[in-house]
Amino acid sequence: MNESPFENLRLELRRGCLVLAVLAQLRAEHYGYTLRKALADDGLEIEESTLYPLLRRLETQGLLVSEWREEDKRNKRFYRLSKDGKVILKQLLEEWRSMGESLDRILREVKV
Amino acid sequence: MNLLNRYLQAVARLLPKARRDDIVAELRANILSQMEDREEVFKRPLTEDEQAEILRHHGNPTIIAGRYREDNLGLAFGRQLIGPELFPFYKMSLTVNLVITVVILAGLIPAIAQMTGGAIVLSRALIPLVTQFVIVTLIFIALERNKAHVLDKWDPRKLPVVKANPDDGPTASNIFTFIITALGTLWVALTPHWPYLLLGPGALYLPQLELKFWPQWPAFYWTILVLLCTQLVVQFFGVFRWLPSRKARIADAILRTAGIAVAVLLLLKGPNYVTSKYPEVAYWANLNFEVCIGGWLAIALWRVGWIAFSLFRERHQMLPARQY
Repeated sequence: MNESPFENLRLELRRGCLVLAVLAQLRAEHYGYTLRKALADDGLEIEESTLYPLLRRLETQGLLVSEWREEDKRNKRFYRLSKDGKVILKQLLEEWRSMGESLDRILREVKV
Repeated sequence: MNLLNRYLQAVARLLPKARRDDIVAELRANILSQMEDREEVFKRPLTEDEQAEILRHHGNPTIIAGRYREDNLGLAFGRQLIGPELFPFYKMSLTVNLVITVVILAGLIPAIAQMTGGAIVLSRALIPLVTQFVIVTLIFIALERNKAHVLDKWDPRKLPVVKANPDDGPTASNIFTFIITALGTLWVALTPHWPYLLLGPGALYLPQLELKFWPQWPAFYWTILVLLCTQLVVQFFGVFRWLPSRKARIADAILRTAGIAVAVLLLLKGPNYVTSKYPEVAYWANLNFEVCIGGWLAIALWRVGWIAFSLFRERHQMLPARQY
């Protein structure tokens, strides 16, 4: 890989956050493109080539459910959080908050 | 939308067959929505350059297809040498290379053995295999390391043109199936009058053998012939797309199911389909008959099962027709 160490670490940091963001956003139903727009509107830009395969992966893991439905005279695949997905999202959010609090405490003690 | 079709075709080629249509349909819907959004902003249709820019931003077809693969395998030696996006193509290239090398070697081994006396044939044969493995692996490691530079330099306008859609007109496969069915039907229709078509020169001995079918055979024979003729008509309509692909497949499945029922009845009747004044001849004729029915039954069951599965899958997923 030719990316800088910062770029590698940034990508690593983002990877986990993206899953959390996608799961959280899919508490309401979306298809791929509107989900990407919704995430971007909230400040989280994500490439199509990352997001669309990620949706498939999360569905295979049972965290999302999807169905093909016609909207605006076009068939689209709509995704939403599954029952298991809701449980996992709750657990991940708890983990996220706990980590955030820990990190805040650490950062208060360390000058960056 | 010519560029979009070319892009989707390029992605589709690299996707696993089982999920190909589904993924491509989803990509199409997403990209079209994005293009429409852009058109609303510009208040005009997108130019080809603008479409190309959206597709280029969407990603290289090789990378996109690699990301949809779920096996997520890679090649690592301490650190990752070939990532999951390129690994399927690495595996495919390596397999093709090694198979070709093995085939060539298999042809050359006798010559090598003669030249070397046979003792070091194995080591000689291994050298090209190891060389192929190393070369292909090094190429892919280099590609992985320069992925961003190599794979980012692509232009949607240079993608191959879209192949003719099978739903647009006759395809080689449909025409071939129709010709085979026509020949088969003709053979079934003519054989009773010209047994030569079944037995070849042996047909000359038929009068002496005194072969006789059991009395209900004509009813079965005519049912088979009618089913074959109906299938021929359905396939003819299918070739010229006068019957939609889905309906043609349903009709095909129904006719084959009727054929399966006839075949099962025939097997239940067995094994005394024919009698002869020579018991051995009757035995072999009956055995042949039974094997042929059994073989046809297995193929028909597989075919009907496959059609049912594909129809169920399409219905379940509400997939739009194949469009790339």
